[in-house]
Amino acid sequence: MNKNPIKLGKLVRRTIFYLFIVTLAVSIILPVFFLVSLSFLSTRESYSFPLPLLPSLKTEYSLTHSDRGYLLSVYDKFDKEYQTVLDTAELEKMSVYMKNQIGTPYSIPKIEERIAELENGGKDTIFFSVRKNLLLNYTTFFQITRDAVPALLRSLQIAGLTILISLSIGSMAGYAFARYVFAGRDVLKFSVLFVRMFPGVAIALHMAIILANMGFYDKPIGLALVYSVGSIALTVWITASVFMGIPESLEEAAQVFGATKWQTFLRVTFPLALPGLAAAAMYTFLGAWTETVSAILLTQFNPTFSVVVYQSLLGAVGNVNLTAAGGLVLAIPSLIFTFFIRKYIQQMWGGMTI
Amino acid sequence: MTASTPAKRFRDLGSKAVPYLLIAPVVIYYFFFWFRPVLVTLIKSFQTAAGAFTLQNYHMVLTDPDFLVALRNTAIIVLFSVTLEFLGALFLALLINRKFTGSTFFLFVAMIPMALPGVAVAAMWLTGLTAHGWINSLLYYLGILAEGAKIYWLAGSEWKLLGLIILIDAWQVIPSMMIILLAGLQNIPEETIEAGYVFGGNFITVLRKITMPLLGPTIQTAVILRLISAIQIWLIIVLLVGFSRMPVLVERIVYYYKEVPNLDISLQMASGYAIVVSFIVSMVALLYLKVSGAFGGKKEAAQ
Amino acid sequence: MATLTMQNVTKIFGRDVIAVKDFNLEVKEKEFLVLLGPSGCGKTTAMRMVAGLEEVTTGEIFIDDREVTELPPRKRNVSMIFQNYAVWPHMTVYDNIAFALKLKKLHKDEIDRRVKETAGMAKIEMLLERYPSQLSGGQQQRVAVARAIAVNPDIFLMDEPLSNLDAKLRVSMRTELKAIHDKAGSTTVFVTHDQSEAMSMADRIVIMKDGEVIQVGSPDDVYHRSGSIFVADFIGTPPTNFMDVKIQKESNGTHLVNTHLNLLLEPEMAKHLNGYDKNHIVLGIRPENIVLVGESDAALSASCLVSEPQGSHQVVAIQLDDNIVKVVAPPNPIIAPGTDVHLIFKQETLRFFDPDTTLAIND
Repeated sequence: MNKNPIKLGKLVRRTIFYLFIVTLAVSIILPVFFLVSLSFLSTRESYSFPLPLLPSLKTEYSLTHSDRGYLLSVYDKFDKEYQTVLDTAELEKMSVYMKNQIGTPYSIPKIEERIAELENGGKDTIFFSVRKNLLLNYTTFFQITRDAVPALLRSLQIAGLTILISLSIGSMAGYAFARYVFAGRDVLKFSVLFVRMFPGVAIALHMAIILANMGFYDKPIGLALVYSVGSIALTVWITASVFMGIPESLEEAAQVFGATKWQTFLRVTFPLALPGLAAAAMYTFLGAWTETVSAILLTQFNPTFSVVVYQSLLGAVGNVNLTAAGGLVLAIPSLIFTFFIRKYIQQMWGGMTI
Repeated sequence: MTASTPAKRFRDLGSKAVPYLLIAPVVIYYFFFWFRPVLVTLIKSFQTAAGAFTLQNYHMVLTDPDFLVALRNTAIIVLFSVTLEFLGALFLALLINRKFTGSTFFLFVAMIPMALPGVAVAAMWLTGLTAHGWINSLLYYLGILAEGAKIYWLAGSEWKLLGLIILIDAWQVIPSMMIILLAGLQNIPEETIEAGYVFGGNFITVLRKITMPLLGPTIQTAVILRLISAIQIWLIIVLLVGFSRMPVLVERIVYYYKEVPNLDISLQMASGYAIVVSFIVSMVALLYLKVSGAFGGKKEAAQ
Repeated sequence: MATLTMQNVTKIFGRDVIAVKDFNLEVKEKEFLVLLGPSGCGKTTAMRMVAGLEEVTTGEIFIDDREVTELPPRKRNVSMIFQNYAVWPHMTVYDNIAFALKLKKLHKDEIDRRVKETAGMAKIEMLLERYPSQLSGGQQQRVAVARAIAVNPDIFLMDEPLSNLDAKLRVSMRTELKAIHDKAGSTTVFVTHDQSEAMSMADRIVIMKDGEVIQVGSPDDVYHRSGSIFVADFIGTPPTNFMDVKIQKESNGTHLVNTHLNLLLEPEMAKHLNGYDKNHIVLGIRPENIVLVGESDAALSASCLVSEPQGSHQVVAIQLDDNIVKVVAPPNPIIAPGTDVHLIFKQETLRFFDPDTTLAIND
């Protein structure tokens, strides 16, 4: 019996601790949740207040006669009643409305079927429900936003080029920092860090001229060159720590057992460094994919995907559901890569003290 | 003696050159794509369009009525957001500093805000802060907001907007800063802390005399890196309230370069602001390098 | 199998850090030679120069008659066991052992045969498909051994291979390594800072200090005929006891005298001091050569400071001024602190050292 109070106290403390953790997690996730939820709302839903917490999966319709033709009504879950949305005889108008506003694509022949039901069934009103196309906002975003698809491809291309440039150049230097002691090592190491911290926006203006001279202005390679300035520094630091994590004796053993320096690198160092190099590549991808300022300043007719979303946000506050869809498309690769390299990020953040 | 054969001397030279050869590409790259633009930007800032020396460009930026406002706004954001974020993150980190069931998942969740692209974060809060956005909806569902009532988040005074910006930034930054501090805390050997308690310290003394000093380097890194990015906040502001309503330094660069690119003074103003921003950031960066012991001295002396 | 010769080898790091100084060594065929010394004495550097992992500043290294001073590691036909094993974590045990054989472009069947044979010798034939992360420290050690044997090297180099193992495993691996050496008959250079390891395994021991060779000899030599105070102190646990004594020639012979001791040397021993012209020496005697006797026979009496029972014997510590003298005594009866003990020295085991040069005078 006298054990209980201790256990109870512990239980209470644990409960409070977890309540706290959950609250924290919820407050982090809540805005993300709403962005996701918004991206699945139909236009009609997104204009209602309060916004539904979850997107509907289907819509209940009622159809009845009117003076001008037919009355189409939609069941409103919030007001718990059917609300008339359309009074028309034009079937095409009805179909377009159902698709664009409610997010439930419904073809004209199908509408004709319903009308036949109404005419022949002898009923005053007929009811039917249509499943919602949840991905409609996403397809619409890419259809109506000028450039969204090419911008997406361009962003991927830029990220790829940035990875190529910064990994090839940065990992060599990273290896040197990890394995050699040489004069000027510290100065170089911290210059690299300084460049990383220097605001990219400051050189972007003049970079425009340099890139124009090279014929790279407003081209993916141009932005990749700019992004590489920052990401090389990052790659140097990541790869240096990756190579430092590979005991030198493993390389020495390879040499003693008959390998040349090159064979040692290919058969021992490289395979062991591969996961770390992949993490560096993903980190570089994250930087290039999300970057906006330089992309805004250094593109004209060929924006990146983040610029496209930026412009759609800046221009039209109206279609929040479409904007949310665009924002989410931008966010998803970032989240996926972050998930993959979360261990490295934690290590790096934790080990950032030099 | 084999020591001084030419072949050996050549080989010695060769092996000494290896690290420099490996570093060379980075140095060359930085020369062309970083040092040159920085230098040219700097030189141009002292030149008239014809190339003569002038201080006119700086004069123009410094007398721009928006300059002081932008500087003030930036300073306020940096000061308050970094303080709030640091204290918040430290508080959370100290509270959470232990392994618990689900900690891996929690740490990933905490990483999400930092991982989100700025534009996506802006989309998130913009859809929330509009009058019929999700924040008002949520308040309604929670019974805080009466039917028909709405809060107009984005209307009103500059100060309210600044507050909002700082809060949004805190949402984005506190979780990741907490992870940094947590990692720092977990690098402190448990025995060190336990010894503090064994020898009679209470929570506060142990925190003040042992934990915080050991966490010092981590805190320095986290805070200064955060300072550097806080100085460059602009996107969320522009996407929430548009250009020129709440000017900050980087916002001015984009404004002059992209929004009103055809004024006579556009390019000069943009580069002027760019120099101001780089100057401030460079100072902070140098401060960081100094406190982290980059300028030698401290480290060598310790060895 | 081969011989290894190092002639006047010096290694200087940076501008003026001398790691190995004028090192001369000849390792005989099939010999098990141990480089022994405290950490930082240059023993590992000396071995790494043999492997080719460290460049020689001056001097030459020969394997048989072949000069290898300038050759890269792979052309020397040596193999090595590293302190941390250096087993490649991304290869299976099989691939670890086969690595060198594949690089030599041996036929697949031959590789297979040799991998299995050496794995058998190292008793890891059932682990061949595993990865190092699935192995214990001791098993990884065996993989490193098998990998080293498989290449059939001229010289076997072992860099403190047992220091990462726990105490019990270390002792049993000693026996096994020695057995493998005897079976393979390979010329071996073994680096360690553990003198008991050196004593138990070596044919010959090279004792190093500050980059220089202090003494070379069989375990018996370095233990019983330590050439200097450093060696006498470094070898043996507990180490040799040292006492400053004055030489007094009296009518009945030569006496060694200090405040606690007046020892009449037997003529055999006194002879060693002929030709020594200073009047002070450092007397060295190993703890097991001090014998507890009755009060009347004692050369020295003092009170016991502390006694450490060891099961088979006890180590009795006695304080003489600032010096602590340790004595290995029979286990019973246990001597209580404060008890007076009476001692004599086994005279034939005494070592005399010159206090200025610290070198032995006996030989």
